Amino acid sequence: MANTLMELSNDLASTVSAAEAAVVRVEARRRLPASGFVWSRDGVIVTAHHVIEQEDSIVVGLPNGDAVRATLAGRDPTTDLAVLRVQGVSLTPPAWAESGSTRVGHLVLALGRPSKSVLATLGIVSALRESWHTPTGGRVDQYLQADVSMYPGFSGGPLVAASGHVIGLNTTALLRGATLTIPVTTLRRVVETLLAHGKIKRGHLGVGVQPARLPAAIATQLAQETGLLVVAVEPGSPADQAALLLGDTIVGLAGAPVRYPDDLLAGLSSDRIGTTVPVRVLRGGRLQELMATIGERQ
Amino acid sequence: MSVLTDQLNVELAAVVERMGRSLVQVRNGRRGAGAGTIWHPDGLVVTNAHVASGSHLSVVLPNGTSLPARILVSGPDLDLAALMVDATGLPAVAVGDSRKLQPGQWVLAMGHPWGVLGAGATGVVIGVGPDLPGIPQFQHEWVVVDLRLRPGNSGGPLIDGQGRLVGVNTMIVGPNVGMAVPAHVVKAFLRKALLELGRSASPSVEGPVRCRL
Repeated sequence: MANTLMELSNDLASTVSAAEAAVVRVEARRRLPASGFVWSRDGVIVTAHHVIEQEDSIVVGLPNGDAVRATLAGRDPTTDLAVLRVQGVSLTPPAWAESGSTRVGHLVLALGRPSKSVLATLGIVSALRESWHTPTGGRVDQYLQADVSMYPGFSGGPLVAASGHVIGLNTTALLRGATLTIPVTTLRRVVETLLAHGKIKRGHLGVGVQPARLPAAIATQLAQETGLLVVAVEPGSPADQAALLLGDTIVGLAGAPVRYPDDLLAGLSSDRIGTTVPVRVLRGGRLQELMATIGERQ
Repeated sequence: MSVLTDQLNVELAAVVERMGRSLVQVRNGRRGAGAGTIWHPDGLVVTNAHVASGSHLSVVLPNGTSLPARILVSGPDLDLAALMVDATGLPAVAVGDSRKLQPGQWVLAMGHPWGVLGAGATGVVIGVGPDLPGIPQFQHEWVVVDLRLRPGNSGGPLIDGQGRLVGVNTMIVGPNVGMAVPAHVVKAFLRKALLELGRSASPSVEGPVRCRL
C-alpha cells in the first residue's frame, strides 16, 4: 500500500539531500545564524543582505561541518542580497532552474542551515508575476512568492524545485508579511555587479514625495489618476539644480508616467546616472517640463 | 484529476483511515481533550504527560466507547505518559523507525485540533535533533515538523508515508511548526518505565505487564 505516497516522500527527502551540499550557514549577527548558498566553485556565496549585521566577522558553516571565515564582497539593500567570499575551500554550486520552468502550484522546498544540519519546509509556488521594484527601489526580474514556512534562520537560503534545481533566494525582509524569492536571473545580475563594484549604483534625484490625486481635467488629459507631490527638495541635489519646487507634482520622468514612488524608483536606474532627462511636473495647475541631470545615490 | 493525484488521494485516505482506528481521545475531566495512540492491543495507550494530568482520566475509542484509564507511568521531562485501559484486542499502531527520518520527508499528524475529532494535517519533516535552532532546548531529540498543530493535537501520532507512527505530537512552536517526540525516544521511555514497574511490583499495577515493545 501507499506506494505513490512513499515515492513522493522519498523524492522530497532525496531532493533535500541532493541540494544540501550547496546550502551553508551564515553567522554574521548576534542572534540566530542565517542561511546562504554556494554561487560558484571558487568560493562565492550568496545570502540575504539583512542577515549581515557584522561585516568584519562573518563565518560560513559548510555542509561538511567546517566553519570558515568569509569576507563581504558586496551588498545590495534594495534587493536584499549580499555576496561573500571564502578562501581555500572546494564548494559545490547547486543546479540552477531555468527561467520560465516554474509554475504556480509547483511543489517547492525552502532549505536552510541555521545550525549544523540542513532543514527543509515544503509548500507550493503561490504567485508568479512580471518584474517589480522593491520598496527601496531594487529591480527584481520576477515576482515570486511561495507559501513555504520560513523557519528561524531560513533567510538567505534557496527555494528548490522538486527537481532539485534552485529557483532563487528566500527572504522575509523585502515585504512585510510575505516570503519572497529573488529569482536566479536577478541573482546573476546583482551578484555579477556586486563582485565587480561591491554595490549596485542607483540614480538620485533628491526629492521627498508622496502620492497625490490629480485634478480631474489633468487626470483625463494624462490618462493617469495620481502623481507624486514634492514634499522635500534636498539642497544642491539634481532636483534642486533642475529648479523643482516644493508643491510641484511629478507626473512623468524621461517620457514615462510617474504615478507611484515605484515608478520614480524605476526611472532612477543606474544607466541614467549622468544623463539629463525631462521631469514633467504639475505646477500652479499647468503642466511643464524641467530638465534634470540624474546623480548617483551615495 | 490526474491519475497520480487520484492515486495519492486514495493512499492518503487509506493512511488516515487506518491510523484513525488507533487514535483515541484522552479526557481528563476538565474541558477539552488531548489525543493518544493505542500502542498495544491489551490496553496500552501513549499520550503526552500534560494531557494525562488529572484524577478522572478516560480514553475514548474511535467507536465512542469511553473507558476509565489509569496512569501507568508519566514522565514530565519527555512529556510522555503511558495509560492502561481494561480492554483487549485493540487495534495497535505500527511503529516506524524515527532514526531514519530525513528533512523533506512527508508526514501526517492526527488528533483532535480544537475538538475536531480525528482530524489530519500533513507536512514535511523540517529536521531531527536535540539542538535545532528556534525550538526550546531539551536533553533529547525532537522531530520538528512543518505542519499545523493546534490544541487537541497533543499526544496524537505523527505518521510516515507507510502509516507507521514516527512520533508523538507534543508542542506548537509556530503557526506552522510543531514538535514531536520521536518514536525511538518513546520506545526507550516505555521500555525503561515498564522495566522499573516490573521490578517494584507496585501494588497499583494489576496483573503482569504484558507489553512487548
